Amino acid sequence: MTVVQAAGVRKHLGGREIVRGLDLELGQGRAFALLGPNGAGKTTTVRLLTGLLQPDAGQVSLFGQSVTPQSTDALRQRIGVQTDTNVYENLSVQDNLRLWGDFYGMSRTAANARIGALLDGFGLSQRAASLAGELSKGMRQKIAVARALLHEPELLFLDEPTAGLDPEASEELIGQLQELIAATGTTLILCTHQLHGLEALCQDVGILAGGLLVASGAVADLVAERWPGSALHLEVAREDSEAAAGVLEATPGVTSRASAADRGHFAVQSEDLATQDRLVASLTAAGVRVRGLHPQQYGMRDLYFAVLDEHRATQTEEVAR
Amino acid sequence: MNGQRLWALIRKDWKELARNSQALAPMVIVPLIFCVIMPIVVLTLGQNPEVASQIQGMAAFLQALPEGILPAGATEQQQMVYAVVVYFFAPFFLLIPLMVASVIGSSSFVGEKERRTIEGLLYTPLTDRELVLGKILAALVPSVAVSWLAFVVYAVIVNSVGGPLFGGLFFPTPTWLLMMLVLVPLMGFLGVSLIVAVSQRAKTMQSAQGSAVFLVLPIVALVISQSTGAVLFGTPVVALMSLLVAIADLVIFLLVVRHFGRERILTRL
Repeated sequence: MTVVQAAGVRKHLGGREIVRGLDLELGQGRAFALLGPNGAGKTTTVRLLTGLLQPDAGQVSLFGQSVTPQSTDALRQRIGVQTDTNVYENLSVQDNLRLWGDFYGMSRTAANARIGALLDGFGLSQRAASLAGELSKGMRQKIAVARALLHEPELLFLDEPTAGLDPEASEELIGQLQELIAATGTTLILCTHQLHGLEALCQDVGILAGGLLVASGAVADLVAERWPGSALHLEVAREDSEAAAGVLEATPGVTSRASAADRGHFAVQSEDLATQDRLVASLTAAGVRVRGLHPQQYGMRDLYFAVLDEHRATQTEEVAR
Repeated sequence: MNGQRLWALIRKDWKELARNSQALAPMVIVPLIFCVIMPIVVLTLGQNPEVASQIQGMAAFLQALPEGILPAGATEQQQMVYAVVVYFFAPFFLLIPLMVASVIGSSSFVGEKERRTIEGLLYTPLTDRELVLGKILAALVPSVAVSWLAFVVYAVIVNSVGGPLFGGLFFPTPTWLLMMLVLVPLMGFLGVSLIVAVSQRAKTMQSAQGSAVFLVLPIVALVISQSTGAVLFGTPVVALMSLLVAIADLVIFLLVVRHFGRERILTRL
């Protein structure tokens, strides 16, 4: 079942086009990482997808239902959102969560049971009666995430959920989200700059740059598309760098890129194992001292930087023209 | 309209209000001045004809009162106390709900904006109507409660200080009961609705409260009209005002709900 669908969504704010033709489709139980640098349009995208902002053009649907001013009240019941906003600092941790339980129509018994489980999970049980304002930033962040999870939403939006959390707490949160998705089939849209640990959680990724979704799809598919064949990391003696570059260029079925930072290091793509064998033989024959040839694993982080680099290069070319 | 959500929002605002000394202070100080300090001073001084004659404007106020509104056969001293207690102070009791509501109401949307809590609220299933009504009631109920409490205190004080002069209880009059039970809540609702409307657009609580000052001006004009005898706060005036304010309440509430926009609130953060 398609949970989130956006087609040709555009939005201007303050005379600037913040979102420029967003197309997106996300199925139930998928975890989607919405990545992008500051000002790329991530927060506006979340606001558009949740109906808080109305698009200037295009259409958004959630759970197969068009998002309109008339439908959003009911749709919001099925979603949970954590954004870069504060919790109520003059209320206790428990009161902050109970308030959300009431907003989502939970009975006091159900809300208390769920609050107890969430506070246990986030290590906040001992602070349930403390005022939120007395807690650290990381703890307040956990309350904000717990608030979004409280009513077990079918669709969950998290905006920088690990901001302010220490590495251990970040990993714990990612683990908890993984468990939640596995157990309940919740669909997740996660906006972040922090790429570490995301691959364990998100199968799908969208990369926003300047309001454009410049890449979107399953991480594995996008990586395979960008770096087809076997990806290798070749290291040769520094003095043999130029000779190696010549061999790499001359070997059929091989594409390569020298590392700008480390002389003697190359990112190599080869079509198959036979090509790799030919490459090693050619390097040896040319007297290149090979220090290592290892399989290179590309992931979300590599994809993110490669896509952004490519986008910036395209933009620069367009400006030059 | 979902009662659970509405009540949760109101309760939340009250819990926050109870921990906000900056908002609580005007709720105590304003009624204290209007209902305790000023009446005691005026009534104490007013019972002394020599001192009363020295109070500027008081003679003009008494002379401007229409015939037949003061108790028949009352002495000059009784007339003065009665006129001050029953007519002179009446408009001040319309200022109390407005001023208290402006303090609480200003912190409704705009306070949530300043504390960066509003966006979380906008993502919940609260409807626009629930959000607006919840914010209005959260400010209105305390402002009316404070006004009524001030009224009870005022009644005790004026009867205690002025009672011996009249030989017993002489306050409240039916006009005052009409004003407190009908006009004060309606006036409070009007003030809060307008402040909530302003709060949607204002970026800071100071600017919202600055706009709220303009709401108080018509009441100040009423105080002045009253003291010059141009408008007397009798039953017909209170009844007419109640009717007009009730119509204004309905129109403004519908307009506030209609023009309430989550997008406008978010993009003006």
